[in-house]
Amino acid sequence: MGKAFDPSLIVDFIPTLIYYLGVTLQILTASVLLGMVIGIAAAILRVFRIPVLNQFVILYISFIRGTPILIQLFLVFYGLPAILLFINIDISRMDALYFVIITYALSNGAHFAEIFRGAIKAVDYGQTEAAYSVGMNNSQSFFRIVLPQSIRIAFPNIANSIIGSLKDSSLAFTIGVMDMMGRGETLIAATAHALEVYLSLAVIYYAVVLLFEKIFRLYENRINRHQSVDVSVTG
Amino acid sequence: MIYLKDIKKSFNQQPVLKGINLKIGKGEVVTILGPSGSGKTTLLRCLNFLEKPEEGIVQVGDIQVKSKKATKREILSLRRQSAMVFQHYNLFAHKTVLENVMEGLIVTKKYKKAEAKRESELLLEKVGLGDKHDHFPSQLSGDQQQRVGIARALALNPEVILFDEPTSALDPELVGEVLSVIKAIAQEGITMVIVTHEMSFAKEISDRVLFMDGGVIVEEGSPLEIFNAPKEDRTRQFLNRISRDFSVSFLEERAN
Repeated sequence: MGKAFDPSLIVDFIPTLIYYLGVTLQILTASVLLGMVIGIAAAILRVFRIPVLNQFVILYISFIRGTPILIQLFLVFYGLPAILLFINIDISRMDALYFVIITYALSNGAHFAEIFRGAIKAVDYGQTEAAYSVGMNNSQSFFRIVLPQSIRIAFPNIANSIIGSLKDSSLAFTIGVMDMMGRGETLIAATAHALEVYLSLAVIYYAVVLLFEKIFRLYENRINRHQSVDVSVTG
Repeated sequence: MIYLKDIKKSFNQQPVLKGINLKIGKGEVVTILGPSGSGKTTLLRCLNFLEKPEEGIVQVGDIQVKSKKATKREILSLRRQSAMVFQHYNLFAHKTVLENVMEGLIVTKKYKKAEAKRESELLLEKVGLGDKHDHFPSQLSGDQQQRVGIARALALNPEVILFDEPTSALDPELVGEVLSVIKAIAQEGITMVIVTHEMSFAKEISDRVLFMDGGVIVEEGSPLEIFNAPKEDRTRQFLNRISRDFSVSFLEERAN
């Protein structure tokens, strides 16, 4: 086991580790944005039951939900170069960071797709009918009227999912990405103060999550302003 | 103007419209009365293909659509001939009052934003909501929401405005506001088809009244003919059943 517990080390470790928060946030931002695109596209394929692609999306979501993210990470890390080699593209020298982003984007995409699917269906059909009645076509009615409202409905769940994804990103070091967790592992190897390192990491992750929750709550209030209950006095 | 030929529609093999033929002229105000389940709302919704008839021809303005082989493009141009005012208002929940009215102008009429804004402000003034531009629908009372709905329909300057029980969801004391706005529009010569349960309103506003029951138009005529001298038994029964409060208010009106 490691050396005797020394709480003062935590104060030393936190600045060292926080330096690598940028990498973690980079993974998160890129994978959430990509995941959002994948998720909305997949939800549309599901909601409008586009033949073949709908089945493909069902399979994709079920696979992502049914396998651990750690395994998905390795599958992408080893599998993607192998597949691309068939069409003569060699990406085996690509930075591991990109494999992490791809994996988390795929994972987020699947989770977002299910959230958006529910949210799209939760928008009152009367909204679509009203859109048709003013002469909109299907895509105008979907993108201008239904989707913006479904994003509001989806937001609390999306926010939860993003926070989950932030914590999941701590697995990136397993394929050699130097994020906060990766730096923590090297610190442990160098100092043998495992508990202090993990406590430091816990403090940082927890603080970031609290900050995210605060930001999400503010944003949620903003997009819900048209739902406010202060009914103005008639006349 | 509006021309319906042999419109048939059923839900789960249950016929709701059993071959409706109808002509409505430009500027005419037509109300459709009838017990619930008589198909009156379905008929109205067939006029803009929110319900797709199984058979028959729908024509509004210059656009004629054969139900059986209606293409998306045809349905779209048919819908652009009309505007609809809904029972539950169906205002765009994420848009302000002003944006609700502007939306159709910008998307389907291709107005510039400033132009659409000017036009919409005028219409909101007209329905008495000049001071509510930046409110969201959820911040308005029912009658205010419905007046926005009417402004949204008017903005499109359609060939015909379809009213689907515009006051049925309102508190009784708020009905009057909405009805007076509709009356004012009717006097401008806009073609209107109105499904309603407000008998005295129908009597006052209509050029022609249709009485529907069991998926057919049982009787049609001027308000005077339908309300004072209905020819068909079913019309008489229906009017008797609902006339208790109606006849009182009607006599009051006469007395005044």
